[in-house]
Formats: sequence, structure tokens, C-alpha cells
Amino acid sequence: MPSTPIVRIRELTRVFRQGEINVTALDRISLDIAEGEFLTLMGPSGSGKSTLLHIIAGIDRPTSGDCIVQEHNIAALDESALADWRNQNVGFVFQTFNLIPVLTAYENVELPLLLTRLGARERRRLVSAALEMVGLADRAKHLPKQLSGGQEQRVAIARALVTDPKLVVADEPTGNLDSHSAADVLEILRTLSREAGKTVIMVTHDPKAAAYGSRSIHLEKGELVGA
Amino acid sequence: MTVSGFIIKNAFRNKRRAALCVLSVAVSLFLLVSLLVVLNEFTNPPEDVGASLRIAVRSKVSLATPLPLRQRAQILKVPGVEALTALTFFGGLYRGEENTYFAQFGMEPEQLEKVFGEARMPREQLEAWIANRTSCIVGADTAKRYDVKLGDKFPLVGQIYPVDLDLTVAGIYKGTTDDRNVFFHQKYLDELLGDPGTVGMWWVKARSAEDVPAVIDGINAAFANTSAEVLAETERAFQMSFISMWANIKVLISSICTVVVFALVLVSASTMSMAIRERLRELSILKAIGFRRHELFAFILAESFGLSAVGFLLGAGGAWLLYGSIDAATLTAGLFPSLEVTPRILGTAALVAAVLGIVSSLAPALAVARLSVVEGLKTLD
Amino acid sequence: MFHLFKYHYRSVIIRWRSTIATVLGLALVIAVFVLIQSLAVGIEKSSGNTGDPRNLLVTRQGALAETTSVVTREQFNIIRYLPAVARDTTGTPLASGDVLVIINLPRRDGTGNANVMLRGVAPAGRELRPQVALVEGRWFEPGRREVVASRRLADRFANLHVGGRFKTGGVELTVVGIFDAQRSAFDSELWLDSDEARSAFDRPDYSSMLVRQADGAALAQIQKTLEADRRLKMKVVREVDYYKEQTRTSRPIKWLGNGLAIVMSIGALFAAMNTLYASVGARTREIGTLRVLGFRRRSILLGFLLEGALISGFGGALGCAIAYFGWNGYSTGTLGWETFTEVVFDFQITPALVAQGILFAVVVGLIGSLLPALRAARLPVIASLKSV
Repeated sequence: MPSTPIVRIRELTRVFRQGEINVTALDRISLDIAEGEFLTLMGPSGSGKSTLLHIIAGIDRPTSGDCIVQEHNIAALDESALADWRNQNVGFVFQTFNLIPVLTAYENVELPLLLTRLGARERRRLVSAALEMVGLADRAKHLPKQLSGGQEQRVAIARALVTDPKLVVADEPTGNLDSHSAADVLEILRTLSREAGKTVIMVTHDPKAAAYGSRSIHLEKGELVGA
Repeated sequence: MTVSGFIIKNAFRNKRRAALCVLSVAVSLFLLVSLLVVLNEFTNPPEDVGASLRIAVRSKVSLATPLPLRQRAQILKVPGVEALTALTFFGGLYRGEENTYFAQFGMEPEQLEKVFGEARMPREQLEAWIANRTSCIVGADTAKRYDVKLGDKFPLVGQIYPVDLDLTVAGIYKGTTDDRNVFFHQKYLDELLGDPGTVGMWWVKARSAEDVPAVIDGINAAFANTSAEVLAETERAFQMSFISMWANIKVLISSICTVVVFALVLVSASTMSMAIRERLRELSILKAIGFRRHELFAFILAESFGLSAVGFLLGAGGAWLLYGSIDAATLTAGLFPSLEVTPRILGTAALVAAVLGIVSSLAPALAVARLSVVEGLKTLD
Repeated sequence: MFHLFKYHYRSVIIRWRSTIATVLGLALVIAVFVLIQSLAVGIEKSSGNTGDPRNLLVTRQGALAETTSVVTREQFNIIRYLPAVARDTTGTPLASGDVLVIINLPRRDGTGNANVMLRGVAPAGRELRPQVALVEGRWFEPGRREVVASRRLADRFANLHVGGRFKTGGVELTVVGIFDAQRSAFDSELWLDSDEARSAFDRPDYSSMLVRQADGAALAQIQKTLEADRRLKMKVVREVDYYKEQTRTSRPIKWLGNGLAIVMSIGALFAAMNTLYASVGARTREIGTLRVLGFRRRSILLGFLLEGALISGFGGALGCAIAYFGWNGYSTGTLGWETFTEVVFDFQITPALVAQGILFAVVVGLIGSLLPALRAARLPVIASLKSV
């Protein structure tokens, strides 16, 4: 396993205000994630695992502490810079797929590339390769509603991969899938980390899913347990 | 919580949506009321007290063709005629104006009380007017607009006639349906024109309402087949004929009304049913709890009626308040002496609002009727 | 800037059920706007289309229109023989003393009477107005009570066909021909011989006179003569300028059109806002997803503004289409403010008007979508991802 940590988390705290009460979602967490790792985050709901994932993926900010990804402290980036950073460095896979219903599979995968300077031909090549990788090249022209859940999630993975990010984060990617499709999706994620050298971070509460990972971390009440 | 409390809470759950619904209904109803008011002003000239007894006599060729002075004596001979005056539309411009919003007429001052009895002013002013050949009387609205007082100069530049009138204000009257007009001596105009021996029109007062048809026939017959045939008609018919020249405008405005109503129903109904469809899930929960279909219909109807009722109050009520308080004559440059929101117009607007309430509840009601509890709970998940 | 054009365009098309009412509503607003403006354009075009640049029109000072003008025969003769007035091959001055009489005629559809302009023209008057061409029958003969009516007027008033007779005052007139005036103001007129008109309607004088200028300096020369001679309280203008000035009729129509459009568009604005708010609400998660993928708030904002513009653009285009295919070229009439007679004109839906209509719609759409678009751009990413 390569040893350079791609993600370095130090004393990370995230506090939400709910009316008068402060809720601590993450409490001074420190964690290193190595490049090429397939890390699974587990824990009961409300344990802070999703919040941690959101911060690593750059869609949430810590209240205090550092989250350094590839030598960038993303907690310090402003909104627009963070948006660009996400586009270039993170691929996100959701529990509910979140494909854009009015766009075809191909167009959904192409979406993140619209923010790059790539020409149409280059985009076409990348999108085709990504769809090929998840085994859906023949479904490129289909709308999401014409796909099965498993296929939708694979399109979502293709979308996450198309910009060739170092980091792929997945929030309960198998939560809405039957066990067969779930296995497909997990297999793809494992391949990504093993063969393409991506760092995959996945939140799940399913031990069977977690078993695909190379390392598993448990959170409870905002703290790491038995890391 | 009561059922009505529930409905109100529901309607304003999405405050922005409710506000936008109400506002779009209000704007449309405001527009509808405004158009109907204008249409009404075009179609129904204001009735006045003496109008039913007055008869307008004009040249059969057209309004612009003058009538010979000699007709006076012949008209007076027609049985049932009580009084008459010449009435000549001068159509001049007041002091440097490019558009003058009030009409000016030459007439016979001694006949004013007999023919236009409703015009009220102090006796000494009437006498002063009769006494001074180059003086005029000004309607209260016009006097107010130009801030003229007794004794002020009141110059008028001729447009139809190649002469200018140099008038002095002798009196200010009010009490007619259109207190804007200015009257001056017909004789003064004749003098300036070199006594052409013609007048614009004759304005006749019949002795009683029963005499009116006979007087009209008598006058028309008296000049048939002469070189100056006339058309006598009641003052109201005369005004209506004026209005009929606007026929196209009327058609235009009424078709716009139709389009507005249609667009209104379309847009508001769709937004309202959108608002209600948003809570199909709630409705299916209610259904699951045990509310019956007709009770749910009642909820939906109450909500859409409520929204359109508020819109009605804002839009039609707003129009009513607005037109009641503005000086229509000034704002419309004299086109309309007043803009009145009649009960009939309010009724029409209320009817449209009610139709709106029903139409916009149709789609959601249908959806609810078809809704099975399970499906409804699933719809938005 | 518009990375998401396809997304928004596709959304508008696919989610048409939720936007159709707004599109139709806006289409009606724009149709009304375009139609009313096209009336004004029609009137202006007919005025702007009238006259010959070589002609000068002489009227009484202070008269706003030919109908209220008087030119005495003495004045007519003085001006006629000025060197500034061109002459024909036989040496006769090209000048026509016109007599304008307003007569009241019954409409063809039986909806009552309306005033119509009857113009008495001298033989030179026809020569001076080459726009007017006979299309049926023959011209009137001097000395006979014959009239020639414009085709458009003939369509609107009873008895104005060739051979038709009508009585006005004590005079009976026979229609002997129909002319077409190429959509100019003369399309709202009946013509007869000038001297015949004076005798039939008992007019000692002419109303106005039209002359052909001898050269470019004629206008100034005639003006100088008029100023020098106290008998001539008259004014002279180019014929085309006179008709260009006759726009009073179109002005209130424009106001009506603008006023209505503004009020109606406020109503449509609320509807558009509602639709777009609903659209943003229903697509909260899509917006969140786009943000996660790296789209900035500004892209989202622009995207939804674009969507508003698209929806309203469709509405505007549809409205213009309704107006164009329903009414373009449709001839109608109204009471002219200058002459107090029926003015016949067409709905003229010009490309400029269509552009105005669509632009107007798009502006309404942009304003209406501003708040919903801002809301979309401000949605918190994580919360919107959790939205159902």
C-alpha cells in the first residue's frame, strides 16, 4: 500500500447550530487516508460519518481544524475556488444516484466536463471511456428513468470518474440497490482503488459493503472508535 | 384546531406561493375591472335629469355641416316644443394648448335655464353672462383645472372656425353630467364670422316626455326634402350615435377583456392547482385518517376560493378605491369625465373570481378522486 | 457562462406541463401587446405612406387638419399662379383646390353609421396623387354627381359598390368607380369632382389646396409670399410632412397598448415567478448535484435566468405567431382624431414589432425568474441533496 497520505485531517470539528442548541457532529477528529486506499466509514445515523465525508469532498466546511487534501487546506478555500476544486479533484457518488432526469446517460456523464476547457472531441472520448469502464457504453442515449437502479448508479460512477479525480467519495452508494446491483457497484469501486489508483472513501452502514474496503473506520457521536 | 383553521394554515403554508397566486389574480381582476369601467364609459353616457326631454337636431349630412338660422322659427312651431337654443361646437384651443380637453359651444344664453335646467350657478352670474356678449360661462371642473375666476380672460383659438374668441369668464356652473364645457354667445361667433346665418346644431327641449316622439317626427318632417335636411333624435340617442363611431374601439376593448379573462383563468388556475397538487401527500394522509372524498373536495375548493377571494378583494377593491379617488377627467386628458366602478362591474369580477376558484380546483380535485392512499403517500417520495 | 444550456433547455421542454400555462398566458399578453401596437403601426404606416415628396399642401393657419381648413377662391388663385408652382405641358398650374366634406354613411354590417371623408378634387388633384389608381369602373365626370370610392371603404360601407347610390343631405350620389390608394390615407376617402362638391354641399370655398412644386426652393418661396401678403393667413407644408404629423389617432392606441401590456405583464410576472419557484423547488436536488459536481452559484443563477428567458421567449414567439397568423394584414377602421372620420387601416405586424414583442416577453421572463434563480443559487448544497 502506498504510504503518502492523500488526505490529512487534524483536530477536525464540526458544530451545527439547531436553534438554541449546538450539536457537535465531529469532535476533534484526526485521520490520514493514504493514496489508493478504499476506506469505508461506518457508524449509526447521526454519528458524523456523512459530515466527515462532506468535508473531505469539499461540500461542507469544518468549524475548526484542518482538512488537507493533496497539500491543499480545502477548509481555507472560498466558495468558488472550492467549486472548481471539487470539479477537478473529487468524484461524488450518492445514495440516490442524483442523475439529472432530463439528460441522457451520456450527457449526465459529460456534465462535469462542461466546466473544463476540453473540446467536444476530447469530451466524447472521456465520456465514452467512463461509460465503457462501468459497462454501460450501450446505454449512452438512455434517460435515467429508462435505466435500472444499478445502471443508474453505474452512470453516476462514470460521472464521478470522468474528470479523472484522485478522490472518489460515495455516500451509501448501495443503499437504494438490490444485493446483486450492489455487488456490481462495490466491485467497480474496489477496482477503482486497486487498479486505477483512486482513493475511494465510502460511507455505509452495511457490513457486507464495508467488507469490500481495504480499511474500515467507525464513528460514534462524532468521534473515531477503534481506528 | 378547527377545520377552517386547518384550511387557512394550509393555504398559507407556502406563503410565497399563496402571495403570488393572490397577486396574479388581483392584477388580472384589476385590469378586468379597469377595462370594464372604460367600456362602460364608452357604452353608457351618463344620464342626466333633463336629458330625457332634450332633443338634438343636426344636419343629416353630418355633424360638421351647419344648419341655417331660419330653421329656428320653424322648429318652434312644431307642437310640443318648449324651448330651443342654437348649439355650435367651436372646437378651439385654450391659451397656447395643443390639445384642449373641454368642449366649447356657442349658444343662446337666455335659453340656458329652459334647456339645460340642471346647470346651476348664482343668478347674478347668469345675468352677467347674458348681459355681456363676449363673456362665457365655464364648467366647475374646467374652472378648477385652469384655476380661472370670475372676470378672468378666457381666450380660445379657432380650429374649425377661422376666428379666435376673446372671452371673459362671467360665471362658473356645476350640476350637469359633464361640468367641463364652456358656453359663450352664439351671436359673438356669428359676428366674428360675418353673420354666416348658420348654427352648428339645434338643441330642443320638449314639453313633456310624451311629447318627445312627436316632436322628433315633427322636426324631421319639417325639413324633409329641403336643402338642409335634419336628423332629430333624443339627446341620449345622439350621444349613442357618437359612441357608435367608436364601435371598433368597443370591439377591441371587449375582445381584450375576453383575452384577459382567459389568460387570467389559465395562469391563475394553473398556479393554484400547482399549489394544491403540492400537497397531494397530505391529502392522502387525510384520506388515510378517514376523511371522505367530498370532505377533501371541500378542502380544495375552500382553499382555491379563498385565494381567489383575497385576489378579488385586492384587485377589484383596489380598482374601486383607485377610481373613486382619482380625478379621471384630468388624468385621461378629458376623455372620460369620470371612471365609475359600478356594482355590475364588481359583480362581473366576482363571477370571474368564482369561476377561477372552481376551475383551479378541478385538476387537484380530479387527482384526489383518483388518488389511492398508498399511491399518494408514495408520490413524492 | 451557459454551461448548462442543454440542461435548462431540456428541462423546459420535458417539464412543459408545468410551464405550459405560463407560456400560454404570456403568449396572450404578447399577442394583445403586438396586436394593439400593430394597429398603431398600421395607422402610422398609412399616414407615413401618403403623399408625394414633390407636393405642397396649403391650409389655413391654425387648422390642424384639412377638414377644418378653408382656402378661399381668391387665395387659391393667388397661390396657383405663383412661379413656385409647377405647370403641366399645356401651361396649366398643377394645383388642386380640394373640398373636404364629412358625410355620415351606414356601415355595411348594419352596426350603425360612421363619418366618412368625401374629398372633392380637381382634375390636377388626381395627377398630383399617382398613388391612387382606379381598379374598377371609371373616374367621375365633372358636372355629374358621381363619386369614386376606395376599395377598403367600399368593403366597410353600404352601397359603395359600382352603380350603388346613396343620399346625403339633399344630394344623391352615384358610385361609378373603385380606387386603390396603396394603403395610404386616401384609402379612407370617397372622391368626387371638386367643383361638383362645392355646388352639391353649398361650399363657397375650398378646404385646402395641393400644388406640385416647380423646384426645390418652392416651399421657401411660397412661405415668403404667404408671410408678405396679409390676405394669405395660410401655411404651407410638404404633403408628406402633413400626413406624417397625423399621428394623433395612433397615440392613444399606443398608450392603450403599452398600458395594457404593462398591467397584464405584471400579472404574468407573478405567474412566471410562481412557475419558476415551483420548478426550482421540484429540482432542488438536481441543483445540489450540480453544485457538488463543481458548478458555481453563478452558473446556477444564470441557468435559471436563462430558463425564465426561454419560457418567456417561447411565450412571446407564440404570442407573435397568434397575432401574425390571426390578424396580420386584417383591415379594420377606427375613428380618426384629426378628421373625426373613419380611418381604415391594417394590422401591420412588422418584424420590428415581433422583435419588440419577444424582447418584452423575455424581459418579463428575466424579471420573473430573478428571485427564483437567486433562490436556486443560494440553496445550501447539503440540505438540497437531502431534499425529496
